[in-house]
Amino acid sequence: MVRSGLSLADLAERHRPELLAYLVRFLGDEHDAQDVCQETFLRAQRAFARLRPDSNSRAWLYRIATHNALSTLRRRSRMVARRVDVELDGLPARGATSGEQRLQLVAVTTAVSGLPPRQRAALMLRQFHGLAYAEIAAMLGGNEAAARANVYQAIKKLRALLGGPNP
Amino acid sequence: MTRELTRHDDQIIAMLLGDAPASPALETWLRSAAGRRELAAYRRTLGTFTRIYGAIRAPRPRPTAYYCAISSPIGRVLVAATEAGLVRVSFRSSEASFVTELRERHAFDVIPSPAKTAGIVHQLRAYFDGERRRFDIQIDFRHVSAFQRRVLLAAARVPVGQVVSYGEIARRIGRPGGSRAVGQALGHNPVPIVIPCHRVIAAGGMLGGYTGGLEIKKKLLRIEGALAETG
Repeated sequence: MVRSGLSLADLAERHRPELLAYLVRFLGDEHDAQDVCQETFLRAQRAFARLRPDSNSRAWLYRIATHNALSTLRRRSRMVARRVDVELDGLPARGATSGEQRLQLVAVTTAVSGLPPRQRAALMLRQFHGLAYAEIAAMLGGNEAAARANVYQAIKKLRALLGGPNP
Repeated sequence: MTRELTRHDDQIIAMLLGDAPASPALETWLRSAAGRRELAAYRRTLGTFTRIYGAIRAPRPRPTAYYCAISSPIGRVLVAATEAGLVRVSFRSSEASFVTELRERHAFDVIPSPAKTAGIVHQLRAYFDGERRRFDIQIDFRHVSAFQRRVLLAAARVPVGQVVSYGEIARRIGRPGGSRAVGQALGHNPVPIVIPCHRVIAAGGMLGGYTGGLEIKKKLLRIEGALAETG
């Protein structure tokens, strides 16, 4: 395969850490995240020859990862609902967390894991991975306004669950 | 009321995310008791969420195996290498099952890369062309037991053009009588050709077995001149 740009191995080296972080945030499970990340590069391999050299390969990888994560969630939802276990691993100083912080952690991860998958994906992509609404729309289907609505809906739900009493 | 709340909510979120500045109407509302309460609630929500999910670090990626398929006089050969060295050579026809084995048995992330396997591929081609008689390649033995490693390293010292028996390898590693265990260890050689388990044969000149199939063993020995062309 002769390409002027980067090879898939180069792209993997460059983007795999951030894709893994995204998938842990999105899926709430490190093992699933590793599996989906691996699957992402296998799919990417099949499509790599068709990737135009001038296209945004980072957004392209996020798009494949998002598709794979969504189908993993569909498979998983047909099985037993699983508990989220990102919480303690994700904390910078987990040994020092107080009981109160722990409760907050459980409340937040429970609220986030209860969001519809597309809203959760859109929220993570917007908030932590710097993707534009147009790019998120390309990943989730729909237009830019729908991508933005997914993010806003997610935040409104989190606010209802975590932000204290409604007016 | 609900509709108005939705509008305010969207505007607050747009403002907090930096999507749009607050309109004069929103600023007026944010000065009311309800406005102050809502703004604080959204700030708290986003702050807590961002603190917790922002702190999630990328897990350490699984080790990567880069692979490549080449055609050769013995058919298709698949090779995989990690940063530590060559990890797998396989004659199997299915690329998918090769990838699956690396993924599921060895927990590698598997990525095709002619570039990362160029060194080994170059040496293999030269070997098949009869231009190279020994390999100069780092081998990643992470999934190989200590015993198997000793057997493989002993087999690696059998020069091209020669053959030795399983029993001889057993003697060389200090396990006389261990030829069956040696046969087992060689039968699971993860890097055939490069570690020339095909040069180890049964006592009495019988070829013994070969995981890739006896035809491949014969061909390799012919390429090396250890077996007559008609053998």
